[in-house]
Amino acid sequence: MSSRTREAIEHFFSSPRGPLTWLVGVACGFAAMGAGALVVIEGGIFNATASTPHIPAVALAAHTAFIRSVEVRAKGITPPARFTPVEVTAGFRDYDASCASCHGAPGVSNARWAHAMTPPPPYLEDAARRWRPEELYWIVGQGVKMTAMPAWREVRSDGQVWDLVAFLEALPYLTAADYARMRATAANTTAGASRPPSPNPQGLSRSD
Amino acid sequence: MTRVSVWPLKTVAFIILAAAGLSPLVACVRRPAEPTWAKFGGDPGQGAILVGRFSCGACHEIAGVQGANGKVGPPLSTFADRTMIAGVLPNTPENLVRWLRHPQAVVPGNAMPDVGLSDSQARDVAAYLYRGR
Repeated sequence: MSSRTREAIEHFFSSPRGPLTWLVGVACGFAAMGAGALVVIEGGIFNATASTPHIPAVALAAHTAFIRSVEVRAKGITPPARFTPVEVTAGFRDYDASCASCHGAPGVSNARWAHAMTPPPPYLEDAARRWRPEELYWIVGQGVKMTAMPAWREVRSDGQVWDLVAFLEALPYLTAADYARMRATAANTTAGASRPPSPNPQGLSRSD
Repeated sequence: MTRVSVWPLKTVAFIILAAAGLSPLVACVRRPAEPTWAKFGGDPGQGAILVGRFSCGACHEIAGVQGANGKVGPPLSTFADRTMIAGVLPNTPENLVRWLRHPQAVVPGNAMPDVGLSDSQARDVAAYLYRGR
């Protein structure tokens, strides 16, 4: 520490407008913020309807908080070295049945009612370019508060969540024609016997 | 003495008149014969809301739309300056509405889905994409 810095610090702590004044100022600032937040919440000022978009500042804060939350919590999860075609196909089936209505697919629109959600669920064509596999695993498995994104790990096995990640990793490479073909193949192979994947964790569809 | 004071006045008047006369020409050069959204009958404000509701920003970069940073399709920030839509349709308002409503009919198998925009909704979105024109 240079002598000039030390002098400045000593001056700060010895001056009459020193630490106490400063502390009182900060405390008052926090109190004002708390009072403001109370007015916004208790006064019903925050508009919780889905028919109106978020205020830009709120959207930015919420979205950034979401991204950082995922980045921090997905750290340390090791994704499989590679995903197999079997996993991608299993993930496709689950995606087509449970995810496409909100998130759409190549050449496929999301459901009409998904346009009425706030925030509107995004298309996921480039999700694998925006997120690491372990981050997708975390988002799919744990869901996202206040967005209507379910925590799929509650109703899917760990392997089934990884299957969905496998499909999301394949999605940037799929054309609309590819997706339509996968749909046709799935319809042929499960004709009359289509049902959602088992939520039973024992019914692992993953090939490990 | 009088000549000295009159000439600059005439010059100034000439410059002003010339500028006034030429300004429409300048405007023509800078803005090609492009129909404005107002003439076309869409509401850009409503279009901005629809762009959010239909998640356009998941695939497209659109300046002014929060979170619209997608890079699946082309950026739409200066759409009015684009020459072709999807590489196959000349960029006219009629063609843009057609493309927005039925992208799968215009270019079968492309990644952009028919999202179910009505004619008036497509006009609103087009008005938004052409905003400022």
